[in-house]
Amino acid sequence: MKNRAHITPVGNEGMYILDTASWRTEKPVMDKDLCIECGLCLSYCPVNAIIFNKNNKYQITYDFCKGCGICAVECPRKAITMIAEGGENNE
Amino acid sequence: MSKIKAMTGNTTAAIAASLCRPDLIAAYPITPQSSVAEYLSELVHDGILDANLVTTESEHSVMSVIQGAACAGARTFTATSAQGLAFMYEPYFQMSTMRLPMVMALVTREMISPCTVWSGQQDAMSVRDAGWIQVFVENNQEIMDMIIQGYMIAEHDDVLIPVNVCYDGFYLSHLVEGVEIPTQKEVDAFLPPVHFNHAVLDPDDPIAVDSLTSGEVLMRYRKTHLEAMEKALDIIEEVDKKFSASFGRSYGGAIETYQCEDADIVLITVGGMTGTARDAVDIARANGIKVGLLKLRFVRPFPAKRIAKALSDKKGFAVVDRSVCFGWSTGPMYTEIRAALTNENCDFSHFSAIGGLGGADISLKHMLIVIEKLEKEKNQPGQKDTLWLTKEL
Amino acid sequence: MSYIETIRSCDDMVTPGMSACQGCGGELILRKVLQIAGKNTIVCVPPGCMSGAGVVGWNYQTGMKIPVHIPLLTNTASFLAGVSQIYQRKGRTDVNIIAVAGDGATADGGFQALSGAAERNEKMLYVCYDNEGYMNTGFQRSSTTTKGSRTSTTPLGKVINGKEQHQKYMPLILSMHHLDYCATASPSHMADMVLKIEQGLAASKKGFAYLHIFSPCPTGWLFEPNQSIQIARKAVASNIFPLWEMKDGKYKITFENKKPIPAADFLHSIGKFKKLSAEDIEEIQKEADRRYKLIKNLALA
Repeated sequence: MKNRAHITPVGNEGMYILDTASWRTEKPVMDKDLCIECGLCLSYCPVNAIIFNKNNKYQITYDFCKGCGICAVECPRKAITMIAEGGENNE
Repeated sequence: MSKIKAMTGNTTAAIAASLCRPDLIAAYPITPQSSVAEYLSELVHDGILDANLVTTESEHSVMSVIQGAACAGARTFTATSAQGLAFMYEPYFQMSTMRLPMVMALVTREMISPCTVWSGQQDAMSVRDAGWIQVFVENNQEIMDMIIQGYMIAEHDDVLIPVNVCYDGFYLSHLVEGVEIPTQKEVDAFLPPVHFNHAVLDPDDPIAVDSLTSGEVLMRYRKTHLEAMEKALDIIEEVDKKFSASFGRSYGGAIETYQCEDADIVLITVGGMTGTARDAVDIARANGIKVGLLKLRFVRPFPAKRIAKALSDKKGFAVVDRSVCFGWSTGPMYTEIRAALTNENCDFSHFSAIGGLGGADISLKHMLIVIEKLEKEKNQPGQKDTLWLTKEL
Repeated sequence: MSYIETIRSCDDMVTPGMSACQGCGGELILRKVLQIAGKNTIVCVPPGCMSGAGVVGWNYQTGMKIPVHIPLLTNTASFLAGVSQIYQRKGRTDVNIIAVAGDGATADGGFQALSGAAERNEKMLYVCYDNEGYMNTGFQRSSTTTKGSRTSTTPLGKVINGKEQHQKYMPLILSMHHLDYCATASPSHMADMVLKIEQGLAASKKGFAYLHIFSPCPTGWLFEPNQSIQIARKAVASNIFPLWEMKDGKYKITFENKKPIPAADFLHSIGKFKKLSAEDIEEIQKEADRRYKLIKNLALA
């Protein structure tokens, strides 16, 4: 495609990505023993931070998770808990 | 073999557009432009013109549909007037600043209020700063020729700016003149197929078109737009010469001068009134007045240098405007001509003449009165009171 | 393939880091719609929460893996109609043409363009994420805002309390444009929503398809972000947001509430409804029941 610089405002030099992980004050942690692998958490995550990994298991990723807590509320087995970001619930 | 037919301006515009092989035409009726859309609809429905015709629910959507089509790489066409232009202003401004080429016939009409449907140029003048190229034509043949040239100018790689071909509502749109219609073959040989692709939405090459832009970056886009307008001045001259070589008709480029070389005073006109002015100049010349005519064809980009050169050695000039410049007590083209002359000698005698608003006539008598006043005051430098070309004059 | 399998196997087309609020219903809807649509898609996102969150690009960067454009608030459907027309003309009828627009761009400013494009049966899928207000600009009221809502332009005051008018019911209005497919959906009923997105995409190849999706807004409506899905579930369960579809002129309720919950249950869980009077709640309940009955009758017709 022809050189577009300064003709029309177009964005094609990479993806605009914000560090939304830095927003959260708490983060979801999954208890793998309680997980029944229903996939509801993956379906309800607004950020798509929960993936179906290579081992066919549901896994929470933390690069962009905003800590909204929907996954914890929706999990039918309460397998996900929200803990304070940065460590134990003691600060 | 091209043929000559007696046609209205609107029919001419429709035929010119169809010869340029548009991919998509969007249309909405408004006086005095409706028959452009009607004629194009007949061509499409009869299978003569292979174009997607979209009859939208408003002019705002006309320009929006066209913008979407242009963002898919299409050549597009539409026509509108006054209130329609005002309604589509939102996507209209965006069309030029997204640098999407197209040709739009602007059948100039007075803006409401007072309530009116008749001829004027206020609509075109009020969008001077929306970034489009604007050319005002004198007769129906020029409508035909400038729509064809318009695509070549708009789609030029160094321009990429949409073009308004402006012609007087009712005076040109509805009145019949002889027009030579080029053949499809001739137009195909002249106009290359559409090829712009700098802002195309295509899953094969995904981009964000019109991303949110910071001020610093936006200023760069405005600058390159202005630079393209500058370049367009040269390309307008080039295309006029090319067109003349192919079709035998030249219009002189951004301006046309008539009998200006040895003139003392110059009458400056925009659009259909030029025809009347030519006759007035001939009559005045026969009576010994050394008057010339400057036909301002392209209002955007404004051909300041050519105008300054044409008027530099004159004693006086008057600009006849078919619109008003609110806040200046003159017509708008008068203010711009004066701005173009700031570096020239300050001894000009000059005034603005306003007439023909809301469909009123600018008569031969009016033109002769302007010339008479110019001649009388040519040795008194400075601005004179604005002359209103009323019926009583 | 179950809807979970569908979702987990489809790549995300939107930038991973967009500045939507925590728990945003709109972000959930945007991602799901585009995941299911896939790479062969062109999307328009008009001014609103989603475009404001960075998905339409910034300076020289883009916010999507597919071509994206931010049209004007007032012309999304018209702009897409132009794109759609040319793609049909070029024979590229496989490309998905999608709008993901808020209620402001859909029901208010963009309504004329939407109605025009729907009437002309332009080939596209138009998805409205309805968060009942102009949330991106500070929670001003729109024509889909529920009556009684506290918004920044219908505040709780000494003389007037909240929005005085009932909401304009867009999905039914659009269904009267002779569409091939028109449906409501909620992220709380994800299986239903995924199926409707798929049907909408299929219908968009033949004509205009419309999806009206309930989009809970924690920041604007005032509730905890982790409650978004719960709120959406209550909206459906109380018949305030019934789930139905219209296909080829036939209406069908896709989720029957055997025992609907009172509207008050939904309203009391949302902060913006805190000061509703008993009369207001009664009116909203009546309106929800009346509307549900109307849709049921249409389904039986």
